[in-house]
Amino acid sequence: MTGGGQRSLFALRQSPPPMTRRLVGVGAVALIVLVWWFATSGLGSEERLISPVILPSPLEVLRSFPSLFRERALLESIAATLKRVLVGFALAVLIGVPLGIAAGAWRVIESAGAPIALFGRNLPVAALIPLTILWFGIDETQKVMFIFIACVPFVYSDAVASVVGVPDRYVETAQTLGASALQVVFKVLVPLALPDIYNSLRHLFGLAFGYIMLAELINAQHGLGYLLMSSQRRGMSEHIILILIIIGLLAYTIDRVLFWFQRGLFPYRTVEE
Amino acid sequence: MSEPVHPPAPPAAAPAAVPNVVDFKNVTKKFGDLTVIRDVTFSVEDLPGKGEFIAILGPSGCGKSTVLRLIAGLRPHFPASEGTVHVTGGVIAGPGCDRSMVFQDYTSFDNRTVEDNVAFGLECRGMASKERLERAREWIQRVGLDVKRDAKKYPNELSGGMRQRVAIARTLALSPRIILMDEPFGALDPTTRLHMQALLVQLWREAQATVFFVTHSIEEAVYLGDRVYIFSSAPGTILKEMRVPGPEFPPKEMQRRPEFMKFVFEIRDIIDTLQSSTRAGDD
Repeated sequence: MTGGGQRSLFALRQSPPPMTRRLVGVGAVALIVLVWWFATSGLGSEERLISPVILPSPLEVLRSFPSLFRERALLESIAATLKRVLVGFALAVLIGVPLGIAAGAWRVIESAGAPIALFGRNLPVAALIPLTILWFGIDETQKVMFIFIACVPFVYSDAVASVVGVPDRYVETAQTLGASALQVVFKVLVPLALPDIYNSLRHLFGLAFGYIMLAELINAQHGLGYLLMSSQRRGMSEHIILILIIIGLLAYTIDRVLFWFQRGLFPYRTVEE
Repeated sequence: MSEPVHPPAPPAAAPAAVPNVVDFKNVTKKFGDLTVIRDVTFSVEDLPGKGEFIAILGPSGCGKSTVLRLIAGLRPHFPASEGTVHVTGGVIAGPGCDRSMVFQDYTSFDNRTVEDNVAFGLECRGMASKERLERAREWIQRVGLDVKRDAKKYPNELSGGMRQRVAIARTLALSPRIILMDEPFGALDPTTRLHMQALLVQLWREAQATVFFVTHSIEEAVYLGDRVYIFSSAPGTILKEMRVPGPEFPPKEMQRRPEFMKFVFEIRDIIDTLQSSTRAGDD
């Protein structure tokens, strides 16, 4: 603020110190809550800027937690949603990553896969719902397969890009050190691409988590998407807000856990967050 | 004294049936309409018990690297469009560990520790883990790294000079017949560069390999080389081949000697005159 040693908060492209960064982040959230609180304050619904049916106050949302937790089996729904995403996404990884690595190493496979992957990535996910219902019914299988089909083109493409992104120099070095084609793939391409693949999977998992809500709007007995849908039918706007916040916190927690693993798994590759 | 040979005359086939280490005959490489090297001819004899150190000198983008990649068998430069490339008497099919290459870019494998990097080629040969790590540590020592301190480090903890030491150790551990070096010290600071030159000379003497060393530094070429091939700018071709005295002293000392500087100035003049004459109307 004063001396030349002090960095200005508005220095171009300079990240503020970590503590300031966190404070500013918390401040922004606090600001939104404050506006929310202000817009929903007042005793009677007539005195409020926004009616409680549209937007309940922060306190009302918080107070509705016990009823969501006990009467509406929140934990069961979280478990159901997570299970669907995890199984569907795991399938996508199991199929997409090995295929993507093979296609990145042998570009003829990539040539064959390119149009299919392009088609798969550009298909609006919601458009897959009727077909998956036709193929897999309306139970759990459909939800898992929906996630699988929606994610596998992205997982595949990112794996291809990661392998292709390994600089030629590494491959050439390995070859002049006597590595065979298979040794190049397994000793060079896979280990060097793996940190990137993992990083993109972490981002794609967030995507999968978003997709599952779509699938859960139809014939689900549990699940966060189902809870959202039934809250809307019952007109419980405070539960809707609460579930949205829970989804956000859940996604954030999962991302942090995956990130923590990433640093442990690939200590030689520093990841920026 | 220098004995400028022009045009590079391949020595007559030795009476003994020892094939030349490398033979280029009228080699041209084109990418579509673009000619990268044109009509390159040279041979490097197999000197028993010691290899030669060939410095390939030329401006950036003159196709010096193409020559190395043709010897290494690396696409897309390999194979040549015209002419023949022979390595130890035969035509090569692709890259192999008898012709190891060190690049300017740092190519230590990020996921491997220093010792696992150095042992890479041995691992590809199927050498047992204990044996190859032993060999690797020996080489780590010989390139001037500290086994205790550095063997378990990952490349991201190393400086540029250390990374190139690892790359050299990784190559020499395989005792290749031919070592190809594509501006390996190009990204290093001047002081480190001199240290690395001294190290390379010392290791090369023991290794008995033929080294092809691409550089655009005249001092580096004169210091390291037994012979210097001077390349013209694109399309690259050998303008002149020169014999220079070998590195008898450490680089810092050599560079202070008037004889050494004489060669440097001579080459600088040759490059200037030859290039202007080619520009004037060689085509």
